[in-house]
Amino acid sequence: MRLNDRTNKMKLNTSSERIFSFVSYVLMTILGMICLLPCLHVVSKSISGGSAILSGQITFWPKGIQFRTCSYILTQTGFITSLKNTLFVTIVGTCISMFTTITTAYPLSKPKFVGRKLFIMLYVFSMVFFGGIVPAYMVVNTLGILDTYWAMILPFAIVQFNMFVVKSYFESLPESIEEAAYIDGASDGQTLVSIVLPMSTPIAATVSLLYAINYWNNYFHAMMYTSSPNMRTLQVYLYDLINNGQAIMENLYGSAFGSSVGVVSDTNMTADGMVAAAVTLSIIPIVMVYPFVQRFMIKGITIGSVKG
Amino acid sequence: MKRLFVVLLILSCVCSVFASGSKEASSASNFGTALKGPGNVTLKRLGYNVAFDVNKDIIVQVTKQATGYDVEYYALPAQNADEKLLMEVASGKDYDVVNLTVDQWRTLVSNGALQPLNDLLDSYGQDILKGNSAETWKALSDEKGTIYGVPYMYPYGTEVSSFMVARMDLLRKAGIQEIPTTLDAFYDMLVTLKKFYGDQYIILAGPYRNAAEGSQALTFPRIISSAFGIYNDWMVEDGKVIYLSEHKNFPALVSFLAKCATEGLFDSDWAANTTSSITEKFASGKAIIACADRNLAQSSIPVLKSNLGLTDDDFGFISALEGSDGTCTYLESTAINHVSAILKNSKNASDAVNWMNLKVQNQLFINIGVEGIHFTYDTDGSIKPINPIFADERGNSYYYNDVTNEAEFKFEWPSRIRKSAAQWLAFDNVTMKTNKERPEIFVKNEFAFMPASENMAKYNTTLLNSINDFVLQVMSGSRSVDDIKTYTNDWKNNGGEAVRSDLAAYLASK
Amino acid sequence: MEKNRREKIGIKKKRRIWGYVCDHPLLYLMLIPGLFFLCIYKFWPLYGLEMAFKDYNIFAGKNPMDAVSASSWVGLKWFKKLFASSQFLIVLKNTIEINGLKILILFPIPIIAAILLNEIRLAPYKKVLTTAIYIPYFFSWVVIYGIFYSLLGSYGIVNSFFARIGLSRLQFFTDKSLFRGLLVFTEGWKETGYNTIIYLAAITGIDTTLYEAARIDGANKWQQIKSVTLPGLLPTIVLMFILKIGYILDTGFEQVLIFYNPAVYDVADIIQTYVYRIGLGQANFSLATALGLFNSVVAFILVVGANAVSKKALGRSIW
Repeated sequence: MRLNDRTNKMKLNTSSERIFSFVSYVLMTILGMICLLPCLHVVSKSISGGSAILSGQITFWPKGIQFRTCSYILTQTGFITSLKNTLFVTIVGTCISMFTTITTAYPLSKPKFVGRKLFIMLYVFSMVFFGGIVPAYMVVNTLGILDTYWAMILPFAIVQFNMFVVKSYFESLPESIEEAAYIDGASDGQTLVSIVLPMSTPIAATVSLLYAINYWNNYFHAMMYTSSPNMRTLQVYLYDLINNGQAIMENLYGSAFGSSVGVVSDTNMTADGMVAAAVTLSIIPIVMVYPFVQRFMIKGITIGSVKG
Repeated sequence: MKRLFVVLLILSCVCSVFASGSKEASSASNFGTALKGPGNVTLKRLGYNVAFDVNKDIIVQVTKQATGYDVEYYALPAQNADEKLLMEVASGKDYDVVNLTVDQWRTLVSNGALQPLNDLLDSYGQDILKGNSAETWKALSDEKGTIYGVPYMYPYGTEVSSFMVARMDLLRKAGIQEIPTTLDAFYDMLVTLKKFYGDQYIILAGPYRNAAEGSQALTFPRIISSAFGIYNDWMVEDGKVIYLSEHKNFPALVSFLAKCATEGLFDSDWAANTTSSITEKFASGKAIIACADRNLAQSSIPVLKSNLGLTDDDFGFISALEGSDGTCTYLESTAINHVSAILKNSKNASDAVNWMNLKVQNQLFINIGVEGIHFTYDTDGSIKPINPIFADERGNSYYYNDVTNEAEFKFEWPSRIRKSAAQWLAFDNVTMKTNKERPEIFVKNEFAFMPASENMAKYNTTLLNSINDFVLQVMSGSRSVDDIKTYTNDWKNNGGEAVRSDLAAYLASK
Repeated sequence: MEKNRREKIGIKKKRRIWGYVCDHPLLYLMLIPGLFFLCIYKFWPLYGLEMAFKDYNIFAGKNPMDAVSASSWVGLKWFKKLFASSQFLIVLKNTIEINGLKILILFPIPIIAAILLNEIRLAPYKKVLTTAIYIPYFFSWVVIYGIFYSLLGSYGIVNSFFARIGLSRLQFFTDKSLFRGLLVFTEGWKETGYNTIIYLAAITGIDTTLYEAARIDGANKWQQIKSVTLPGLLPTIVLMFILKIGYILDTGFEQVLIFYNPAVYDVADIIQTYVYRIGLGQANFSLATALGLFNSVVAFILVVGANAVSKKALGRSIW
């Protein structure tokens, strides 16, 4: 009887687990759809015909599919330049940020670290108190990095919240492993690099993603610290487009959608469509990142290295 | 007088040559320095926010061709533009020319951040000086007569810029054959439409206003308020300066709007509407009448024509409505739209003025183009653009204008409207018609040329915002008309009296 | 005697501290990069907090930094302007209610989502789902407003559907009773994915042998979650919660500014939008700094307080 029980329970799919699995699929699919449908609205607008957009016929599926708007955005509006800027800031920024974050989180995760409380308080304090946009601007100005990539990277060189997340993760790792390494004669640096980091790939991948998202999405720093039009990042470019798309339309050849004799019309370009196209195109790169990152999020870590 | 100026200028040039041996670093103004000339200097211009890359537009080449100067163009951001402008100017950025809104200009002038322009204009900017009226120059000077900016005037003085466009086909179906011209007829029309169509359509979609920060528009249709004798936020009655909320017909106006809102004659999303939502509602056929300007006409009329097979005949335009006692007042649009100024930090002031002057000399070429390629002259002498090359190669020239020869530009400008047949349809049926039939409704804006006032710069935007909010709240039922008393107290606390005294002082001095 | 003892303990403590530092020099060196950026970008600008007590004129002095010292003291003038208005209590109440509502409703969702997502076996589908839920994070609020106005405006897609089946239209954007729901929903739509990723990563850090042990002990799925997953997530949950509470006065500005309109001021006007309106067109840096300082102080007190509570109740603390 007892043997049967144990075998039953050791089967990977007990009835409670199967029910749970089913519920997970259903609920998460619903959530996924709720999140995805409004996005489809935007994507549809980006490839729909102009009159369909203006007359409000687009719900979740494109109508009168055309690619003129997308190609206009890509070739005529500085999209590529701003994409290039954002990519540089994101990639370089994430690397720098990961370095500072890990090097800060590791010492602070050690319970016996002297001065731990003090340093953590410093980080908490700095998270909450902000000097204002004018002093921030003056700092960047004084450092002489206005209108450069560094002005957009360095303010995010360390984000306290992400540091706390990494620290939290380090603290949850069993101490026994590090003690074992210590007994074996490894120094702090060696422990970090050869033992802790390999075990931390999930959190490293995640926090890298969080930083990348941070850099990618940031509007404020680029807006405040750059003034040359060719230093615009994607977010600044999008904001400008959203606020002024109508002005573009008014001055585009496309005067009156062909209601005058002798006028070449472009019935597919609309301000809404342009914004939708720009937004859709700007999301594609960063969305592609997650599946790539997810490879590092292996379920569970092998603690098997410590027995007994 | 001008010769005296020139003599003084030469004298100061001579003196500055001798004075240049001094150690004092002159971060102060540079007037008196000679021209460096095109090709020897790169100018920097800062303008307002637009979506296109301002350095890459074709107008940049066109301007260089006409003036010979190399110029780097910069743009302010879409948000926090005022803050960023102040931070950049205060921290020493050396833009040569900055294109400012009147409010921004007032702030910079009152903080001494701009260079005086009298001498520079005399030496290098004769066309600029001659191209604008004395009244305009007075508006841009301080009490001593020092000019601090050059004006970009709104080219058409008596325009009914915000009107309404209606679907005549739907109106006719409900038994309405004509566009109303009085307030009572307008109200009756709305009621008839509501009875006929019920919930099927939005009867009137509005207000048409930009969601952009610091919008200067009023949130009720000006062609409705015209019937109440209300035409602006600051008005002059019997020689006294009064605010919108103090006008004798203001309670009546707000009650009227609230009544229409409660009876379902207005869009239920009135408080949340923006230019794009109204455009969409009209263009998609969801709304019968929409508060509009020429841009909405351009965006929506062609779409409706192609989607629903309508013709020009099926669109009616409602202009300023008359009250039952014949009152009809609409504000003139003569005003200074933008001001271009030269920063104190600029090192190339003379060349900047020279550049702007050259632009004025070549304004036909820069704004309209070459005869025969971009435009032709119509039989009545007006300018007719050749599309699509006109829109292609001169479309964005409006952004790069710093100053114009007013009179000539007034002649050139309507051609820019004619690049869109729908815009012209609206302009013709509203503005041109009103100018022909009822030119007396236009009220002069007494304060259009008022020089910079600190109180105006500080308080007016907030005041305007709060009156807009008040009207919307009464319309949506959050507040009642009787709350005007509470509103008036808030108004006083927010600087209302300070602005009024400035305006009154200016009025008295005219 | 007492003094000697205390001296000896003092010396021992100093030796212990110094000993630790000498034993682990690299750890201290490692802190330098982070602290370096912290000092430059977070601490150096703090001198600007003075502006809250001055009538800051950006053109005073030689440059904006100098202008801080060159501007005149006005004491608590800006704070008085903030608090003395009758509107302040209303907007304070709105701020706490809206953000509190958001925390109450939206906080558990990413946790549940992460747990459920973890159960999805089909790896490709899991990737698709996770990507789908975090895409909304990349839309700026302006774009989100546009999308949801098309969907939920009075003549939008949802309401047209309602009208067709005979229900009355719901004014999501101008009805005071519906507007907060709109705010909460759109915020959830945008932010759930981002938060789920954080919890997902934390889940993968849980030792899988613990699950095995629980299963052997006869736990069903629900009990496994209660005894293994949730305790494993607890540090992250506590961290996120403390921070959310800390920022309760200070979030949601951009969303509300873009979504709100005068018809719903009574329920949706928050402190920051109110201050934004009274300072419109004035570029009043001092007022903005005063508000920021107020928010910071409150946030600091709340974070420290929440942390103390968590320490007492759950034994977990950020520091």
